[in-house]
Amino acid sequence: MASKKSAASKTQSSSSNAPPNMSHFSVESMKMIGESIGVSALSDEASRLIADDVLYRLKLIIQESEKFAGHAKRRKVIAKDIDDALKVKNIEPLYGIKNEEHIPFRFASGGGRELYFIEEKEIDLGEVITSTAFPKLPQDVALKSHWLSIEGIQPAIPENPPPVEKELQRKESVDPAFTLRNNAVDSSKIGLMQDKRKKHVEMVRVKQYATHELSVEQQLYYKEITEACVGSDETRRSEALQSLTADSGLHQMLPRLCTFISEGVKVNVVQNNLALLIYLMRMVKALLENQTLYLEKYLHEIIPTVITCIVSKQLCMRPDIDNHWALRDFASRLLSQVCKNFNTSTNNVQTRITRLLSRALDNDKLPLSSQYGALSALCELGPEVQRAFVYKRLPAIGEKIRQVIEGGGNSVEKSAADHIKNLILRVIPPTLKASIFPTLRSPPDVLEEYKTEFGYLGPSLHAAVVRSRNVSTPIIPQIGGQQLSSSTVNYIGTGQSSNLRQPITLASGSRLQMPTSLNSSQVFNPPRRPNPTVIPQSNQQRFVILNNSPRQITNQGQFIKLLPGSSISSSTTQGQKYVVMHASSHQQQKVDEVMIIETPK
Amino acid sequence: MEVVNSEVKVEPEIVVSNGEVKEESEKKGTDKETLLAVIQVCKKFNLKETEEILKKEANLTEDEVKELTSASIDHDVNITNVLSTYKSEGDPDLYAESFRKLIKFVETSLDVYKHELITIQYPIFVHMYLELVYNNHEEQASKFMSKFGPLQEDYYQDDIKKLAVVVKREHMKGNEIIDNFRSGHSLFTVRLSRDTYNYLKRYLQENANILSVVQNIIQEHLFLDIYEGMTRSKQQVESSVGGVMGEASRQANKARVYYGLLKEPEINITIPDDDADDNNPENVGEGEKPKKKKAKKDPLLCKKSRNDPNAPPNNRIPLPELRDAEKLDKVTAMREATKRLKLGPESLPSICFYTLLNAGNHHNTAALCVEISEDSHLLASGYSDSTIRVWSLTPIKLKSMKSAEELELIDKEADDVLFRMMDEKNTTDMKILHGHNGPVYAVSFSPDRTLLLSCSEDSTIRLWSLQTWTNLCAYKGHCFPVWDIRFSPHGYYFVSASHDRTARLWATDCHQPLRLFAGHISDVDCVQFHPNSNYVASGSTDRTVRLWDVLNGQCVRLFTGHKARIYTLAFTTCGRFLVSAGADKKIIFWDLAHGYLIAELSGHHDTIYSLCFSRDGVMLASGGNDDCIKLWDIARLLDELDVEDINMSQTPVVRTNTENILLGSYRTKSTSILCLHFTRRNLLLSAGIFH
Repeated sequence: MASKKSAASKTQSSSSNAPPNMSHFSVESMKMIGESIGVSALSDEASRLIADDVLYRLKLIIQESEKFAGHAKRRKVIAKDIDDALKVKNIEPLYGIKNEEHIPFRFASGGGRELYFIEEKEIDLGEVITSTAFPKLPQDVALKSHWLSIEGIQPAIPENPPPVEKELQRKESVDPAFTLRNNAVDSSKIGLMQDKRKKHVEMVRVKQYATHELSVEQQLYYKEITEACVGSDETRRSEALQSLTADSGLHQMLPRLCTFISEGVKVNVVQNNLALLIYLMRMVKALLENQTLYLEKYLHEIIPTVITCIVSKQLCMRPDIDNHWALRDFASRLLSQVCKNFNTSTNNVQTRITRLLSRALDNDKLPLSSQYGALSALCELGPEVQRAFVYKRLPAIGEKIRQVIEGGGNSVEKSAADHIKNLILRVIPPTLKASIFPTLRSPPDVLEEYKTEFGYLGPSLHAAVVRSRNVSTPIIPQIGGQQLSSSTVNYIGTGQSSNLRQPITLASGSRLQMPTSLNSSQVFNPPRRPNPTVIPQSNQQRFVILNNSPRQITNQGQFIKLLPGSSISSSTTQGQKYVVMHASSHQQQKVDEVMIIETPK
Repeated sequence: MEVVNSEVKVEPEIVVSNGEVKEESEKKGTDKETLLAVIQVCKKFNLKETEEILKKEANLTEDEVKELTSASIDHDVNITNVLSTYKSEGDPDLYAESFRKLIKFVETSLDVYKHELITIQYPIFVHMYLELVYNNHEEQASKFMSKFGPLQEDYYQDDIKKLAVVVKREHMKGNEIIDNFRSGHSLFTVRLSRDTYNYLKRYLQENANILSVVQNIIQEHLFLDIYEGMTRSKQQVESSVGGVMGEASRQANKARVYYGLLKEPEINITIPDDDADDNNPENVGEGEKPKKKKAKKDPLLCKKSRNDPNAPPNNRIPLPELRDAEKLDKVTAMREATKRLKLGPESLPSICFYTLLNAGNHHNTAALCVEISEDSHLLASGYSDSTIRVWSLTPIKLKSMKSAEELELIDKEADDVLFRMMDEKNTTDMKILHGHNGPVYAVSFSPDRTLLLSCSEDSTIRLWSLQTWTNLCAYKGHCFPVWDIRFSPHGYYFVSASHDRTARLWATDCHQPLRLFAGHISDVDCVQFHPNSNYVASGSTDRTVRLWDVLNGQCVRLFTGHKARIYTLAFTTCGRFLVSAGADKKIIFWDLAHGYLIAELSGHHDTIYSLCFSRDGVMLASGGNDDCIKLWDIARLLDELDVEDINMSQTPVVRTNTENILLGSYRTKSTSILCLHFTRRNLLLSAGIFH
């Protein structure tokens, strides 16, 4: 029986994709099957004839079973279909083969024979009966309803696929002409409708432009989200961040959100507003985790922002007391996440970032706080990077720390030096220990060697390595660093790690002023600049930026077009003039603070 | 022309479209065989007298009997006889040579003829291959297959794969595809215009020495349906080929079809005038009287009595009388219809999607079919574990009838006796029906929603009561899995489709089928009732759609053009057009009036399992395995087609351009669509399984 089973299943897998004439049964397997049912000494000739016929019959059965798969609305033929086909052919089905997606065959050989079989484990029924832990019941069928479309428009809810597929987002960003083409189709349709509705308005042929507008709902959402993210209410913030992480329809707002973040960081770095910087970084994290966004397009904004938060000289009002180190650590992890997610052979993100940071480390005049950031970011990039870029600089860094600690700088410098030392002692020993790096050796660890190699930091490193070797629980090498980092990223997001939460509680506690809303906050300027990617590079394309006042925005839908022909104060290089035409309601109103209109030549 | 005429004599006659003669001779043959079978039975049971009398009556001579008996005594021998037409002493290498020559001829022929001539290649290819196999030229056969098989049209490749499996003479018995090709009663049909035919004939004659094989095959195994008039265009030919046995001959679609809608049996319109609520017993009483008057005779009294010349008489098929509850329901439906959303390109319907969770393909309970009741209150689905689940889609929960003891206590004279019968206490959202012994492939609600039909792999059809939630009846007639089941829009009748290649018509109160629709040469995969209940459409694995007359069980339309299995059918609300779709991802429109293919909508990229027209008939929704629902503008399509211009004499142009017809396309999140349903107010409901 077992061999019969395996034979049947074997053809199932082989003949479904192989061309019909390619599959065959060997004479040996026929003989073996014969033996298993008590027919011994089959002649070669007979076996071959049987093999041919069996093959033909099996093919017929498989062709038949395809019908059952079709009626079960499946693309794949499964074991049950074969059973049904056998039943239709008036053959007893093979019992005991389940509808598993993958039937694993075991292979055994011996005595010059090869065997494929399905392993069947013996189950001790007594054990099953007496055991208290019953397997979980499978979940029952359930019915769940949602709106797939409301009057022709698909609502962006988790039950529906993201309105614009990631792949499409990618296509749009890589090939701007694609968007234009689509718009051309749309606008021709709109044009038709407009023709019908208001003949009396003189229609001027408008050059194509890539519209970039938000619906009222999207504007409201944007406002709510940004306010919640930087506001004082922690629960609202976590809700907002949750929305940024999980919602599928954000891609249209993405440029604005990115600009919001980058502008926010620029302003707040100058203002040394640590709390807000942390909030903004948490927004970055949320966006990074959103599976439906195609973030590649905005890396040029995100990466500088994140790096700023890592290496900036001063991030808070009182560098000696505030824990800006946590922000630097957090941002470092984000950076390594960006590298992991987006590094490709064409953009070389990781290489470029590594180069930037390691150059920064080389700079002698670099303030200690920045040095800490650069170091922490490099360490986050993994053991390979540490070995290549960090190890050789350890003596120099050690020397600097020594000077500060022994020679006495101010308290700020001292605390910075302390942090650097702690950082190194935290990060380096695990990789050092597990290293297969040629200059490093396995135990015994000789203190002198460490001293010569790492200078001032040598003894402490040595002590740390020896200690960790002695601790019986091994620190997971290599991946350990990454695991640690990703889990701590979560902590800061969910506010579970008391250590890392410190800056936040501290900030909301007393000193720092929290902006209650966007409007009242001087610190926070909504983005005033368009997305830098669309800033004109040549005369081929021109961009006009209109600043609409918020009052206009809330009006009924306004549709603004730029028409060549008459004047408006927009600055265009070629001196071509534009007029802004206000037409009455026919589109979703646009407009964020900034509207970008692109006019290709 | 003269040349042609003289040629006809010379050439051994090709079977030309002359359906009647063929049928007659066929009949003779079958009659004799039947008689023979009877005689055999007589012999077997030693009923000599009967045998003698029968022989005398049938004018059968002893010799004839002997000859025939010996021929059919052994089934195997019989088959050998049929197959022996393939016997030939010809040189096996000649086949490849002559087929190559045929291909070359087709390729170099004028474009006008080319498209039609291409269609002749495939059947010749098949028969040549079979001849080679039959004559034990195994090697040549496999060479022939590998050389010319891939050259055939894409849609035949599946069949060719099945054919290629056959490599030995012994295999030829009992193979579905070969059975079809060798059987006498369904020859492969090729439609050619008179011009193309003459062109082909001339060529065959000129090269008679090489192409004799081809000529023989055409004579013996093909049915050339010659039509007068213009040769069809490439697009026309391509859209109508693809059937397992070629195209439908024109003859098959000559019969008249009454595609019009039945006159609405008049329900007393006085009820809907006042805003009476439906539970008011007085209204029921009022409605009763006038109905009785009219239901006897007098359907002409109805208000919309414009006589549709294409509608069948109301009594052509005896239909059940409407009961009070159904009348009330009709009234509610009409009232709802007045609130219906008017659909159009500018007002698209909303779609409410019901996802079946934990019922994906690889679960033990995989959902195979979903059906929503006409009033959109109930949803039923069949599962691979033989169960059926029924959900209520409204806040009204599912009630069952009280137990017998409790029922006895009820005052039967009470006005609300129906209401009192139901157990109000134990209500649920969902009921499970157990009874089948195999995957449930289809379910169908009766129009009054008190009954549910289901069909299964266990080859039974079961009738369930939705009041007691029990199995009322199991209809056992099919002997193979039943793929589809459908209630008539007027109730009482239902139709089933099965793997046994038949569709059957049943009535709920009869345990045997009333009609047996046989003619498909492969599985019947789906069935659908015409809105006037006088016709049944069926789609099959043989890639044809057939329309059957319920009255006499005859096939009145045969449509070819699908290139793969057909899984779903729908009639337009006006009753004139039939729409079908399936594994070839195309939606095809058929005109029932004249039997033409008129439009082909493509856009889906996987098998289509469900089609549904909006209640006003202006929109079609389609969905299937590609996780996408598409909406099509049917009003516009029919408008542009100018359906009034279609007539018998000229094959209409097939519309394939779908640019302006496709109104919307809504993707689901990896949820394949099993069911589409427009509510009375034109909200689109849809159900599917998440995987």
